[in-house]
Amino acid sequence: MPEAPIPSTATNREAILVTANNVDLSSCDREQVHLVGAIQPHGALLVLQEPALRIVQASTNTADFLGIPCEQLVGQCLDGLLGDENSAAMRVQLLEKKLTGVLSHLISVPCPLHREGVLHISGNRIDGLLLLEFERTTSTVEMNHAYGYCSRLQDTIQQLYGGTGLLSFLSVAVEQIRILTGFERVMVYRFDRKGSGEVIVEAKDAALEAYLGLHYPASDVPEPARRLFALSPLRHLPNVDYVPVSLFPELSPLADGHPVDLSHSFLRSVSEMYTGYLRNMGVKATLVMPLLKSGTLWGLISCMHHSEPKYLSYEQRFPIELLSRMISLRIGDLENLDNYAYRTRLDQVHNQLISVMGRADTHHEALFGQHINLLNGIDADGAALLEGGKVTLMGITPSEHQVGLLVEWLAQQEADVLATHGLPNDCPAAEDFSEVASGLLAIRVSRTSATWVMWFRAEVLSETHWAGDPNKPVIIDRDGQASRLQPRTSFALWTEAVRGHSQPWQDCEIDYANKLRLSLQDILVERVFQLMRLNTELEFSNQALSSFVYAASHDLKEPLRGIHNYTELLQQEEEGHLSGQGQQWLGTILYLTERMHHFLEALHQYSHIGHTDLDLLTCPINSLVEDIVDMLKKANPDDCITIDIQPAMPIMLCNPTSVKIIFQNLIINAIKYNREAVKTIKIGCHTTNGIAVFFVQDNGIGILPEFYEYIFQPFKRLHGQKEFGGGTGVGLAITHKAVTRQGGRIWVESALGKGSTFYFTLTPERADETG
Amino acid sequence: MSPLLIVEDSDEDYEVLCWALHKTGFTHPIIRAACAEEALSRLFPGLPQLGGIDESPCMVLLDFNLPGINGLQMLKEIRQTKPLLAIPIVVMSTSNNPLDVEACYRFGAAGYILKPFKLEEYLEKIRGLEDYWFNTALLPECAGGGD
Repeated sequence: MPEAPIPSTATNREAILVTANNVDLSSCDREQVHLVGAIQPHGALLVLQEPALRIVQASTNTADFLGIPCEQLVGQCLDGLLGDENSAAMRVQLLEKKLTGVLSHLISVPCPLHREGVLHISGNRIDGLLLLEFERTTSTVEMNHAYGYCSRLQDTIQQLYGGTGLLSFLSVAVEQIRILTGFERVMVYRFDRKGSGEVIVEAKDAALEAYLGLHYPASDVPEPARRLFALSPLRHLPNVDYVPVSLFPELSPLADGHPVDLSHSFLRSVSEMYTGYLRNMGVKATLVMPLLKSGTLWGLISCMHHSEPKYLSYEQRFPIELLSRMISLRIGDLENLDNYAYRTRLDQVHNQLISVMGRADTHHEALFGQHINLLNGIDADGAALLEGGKVTLMGITPSEHQVGLLVEWLAQQEADVLATHGLPNDCPAAEDFSEVASGLLAIRVSRTSATWVMWFRAEVLSETHWAGDPNKPVIIDRDGQASRLQPRTSFALWTEAVRGHSQPWQDCEIDYANKLRLSLQDILVERVFQLMRLNTELEFSNQALSSFVYAASHDLKEPLRGIHNYTELLQQEEEGHLSGQGQQWLGTILYLTERMHHFLEALHQYSHIGHTDLDLLTCPINSLVEDIVDMLKKANPDDCITIDIQPAMPIMLCNPTSVKIIFQNLIINAIKYNREAVKTIKIGCHTTNGIAVFFVQDNGIGILPEFYEYIFQPFKRLHGQKEFGGGTGVGLAITHKAVTRQGGRIWVESALGKGSTFYFTLTPERADETG
Repeated sequence: MSPLLIVEDSDEDYEVLCWALHKTGFTHPIIRAACAEEALSRLFPGLPQLGGIDESPCMVLLDFNLPGINGLQMLKEIRQTKPLLAIPIVVMSTSNNPLDVEACYRFGAAGYILKPFKLEEYLEKIRGLEDYWFNTALLPECAGGGD
């Protein structure tokens, strides 16, 4: 069980309940466990100065181990204490071993106080000081017992090979450690990402209450304790009710008057909070070994003895320490092995998705196929894609709107891969849909276009069994001057219904998501290059086509004019030789060549617009419109036309030729498609979102809404050849091209029989304002 | 009478033009160059005369779209030759592109006529051309004859 816990629950004095949320637990985290300056009584400690090996501090129990009181030792040299032979051996060891940050066994010497006993000397260096620790094994019986232990270890390792997965491996391990050490309870305690822990395997005496499956809040093993666990291969507290042994002198004369740093010391006295915590749990002795995965603390092997104090000698501890290190080495492999099949399946799905993606035009198409899609393989309830502001959903998901809210939150996150199994807790907006999405795994495919792929996991209403109320992990007792943390006394089962949580995402799922993200990004980059190439080609062929149409329409006019001229010559000069029928046919040829001429003329004009450079000049729109109106009125002298021009239209930076074409075509149409006795046309401009919108309004025949787009296509006419004076059907197409070429937009609003209003702009609108 | 030089590559266009000129009673001799190169060789002094007509033309009708050196380039060439500047050159073209029109005048064209599609309009334009250049205006007597 944990060291230096932050304890909790009731005291009968005036106590303030605090929770992890309203107290600065870092004050507890800062408790400097390693600087307590005292040791446990199962060994003695000397602090020495090198190279003379002069003793500068000694634990006050040296008489029990070395036969010499500490006061006499301080100031002496080690040589005098160990004898020449032993000190020579010791010096060799000190030269050979670095001893920085690691406690290491140096030599064993005969115990001065027990004839059959042995004194084990371990050492480490810190802050320029040498710390020597003395432990003893008092009898040969004890030593033989320890050797027997080693031979049992062989059997243990054999047993461990039998385990198939991580949990069965660890179950065998704790059972074997229980047998080897005789501790009444041995368990593995695993930390989750937030530091709280769970007992995942346990071996215990039948009479003891089970801790298996219990959770302990993160504050039970605060940060300094976790750090120390990661540093020491083994921690041992043989007697929870021990009396700490202080050092003499108390403060290190050489460490700037601070207590000597005992971080790496095996004998280091533990926090009172820890012993209090253990006493409250009914524990008399502990042995704790860290389980490290890739160098970080993954969990603990925790041994407890409930009936009486229990001390393991150096000989007994040594094989257990090796065993725990071996277990550490296997954890990563076994965890991966547990997921092997799943990992392989996800790899397959990844490859399938990517191969489909290579052939598909859009993410949407590739990721939401009927057979291959985002929900294949992965253990998720729903999936979503956000691309170009559009949400695609699959399976059980929040609504489109809710996914939109989620994306707003995601956009603020730094990470490109985000996994949470407590989404409502992380993103408050998600509380409304926690039932379908308490778990979220999201990957950002593109930052610029805000493309996200998401998987959802439904809420799992579960129960967590805490060893005591996790919401009240700390009690601050304000009885005295200073606030004092009290070890908690209650470890009664506290069952919490967990809401807003899903099954957590596994490492292999997160790896898969990230792999998919990188692959999609690769494809995206490839696509961009492809698109750039295509664009260049398209632009080139467009230009070629436009040039071709321009040239062809012009060149075709030449022979056509010839045909027309010669037909006319025939008609005029050879009139006498032709029958009436012949004359009529010549008339038809002339009519048809004329029509073809108009078409070629229109085509030429249409291609001409895309063909010339656009010089932008400042033009007063009013005078430009007035010129056109004058000209048109002269061309249609018989019509009764009222044209109302708004007086102060803006002066625009535009291409006057294009603008003339636009107004001219629109006004011609307004006159042409009009059966009213008085043809009324209004020309004006208003400003919308800071952009000038021009309009030409008429009281003509009007257009049905289904033709609003159609009329702007080249050679599209709504009326017969002989109606409304005929025409090529290119006028509005030319107008449309003239408008869009300047970055503007043209559209029509109309009521059949009442008239039409054509609107257009001459400058680009901002993207978010276009419909 | 000084001849009229018609620079026209199309036989049909040339025929129709000649027909229109005769129809309207045009009496000046007509010489034809089928391309700009041929026209230039006729205009430049010192080069062998072609077509058996010794006199320099009093006027040039120039087709705009010509193979090889086009009408505009020919105007540019003439512009660089001082004696030739005296000969009025009227461009006949199918292009109503304002840029083409402007360019021709800038390079010294005396007029720009859009080739009409209908014969009737053709005759009208030729009649107008004759009226102005041959009945109203006075043309130079011996252009291209040196300084």
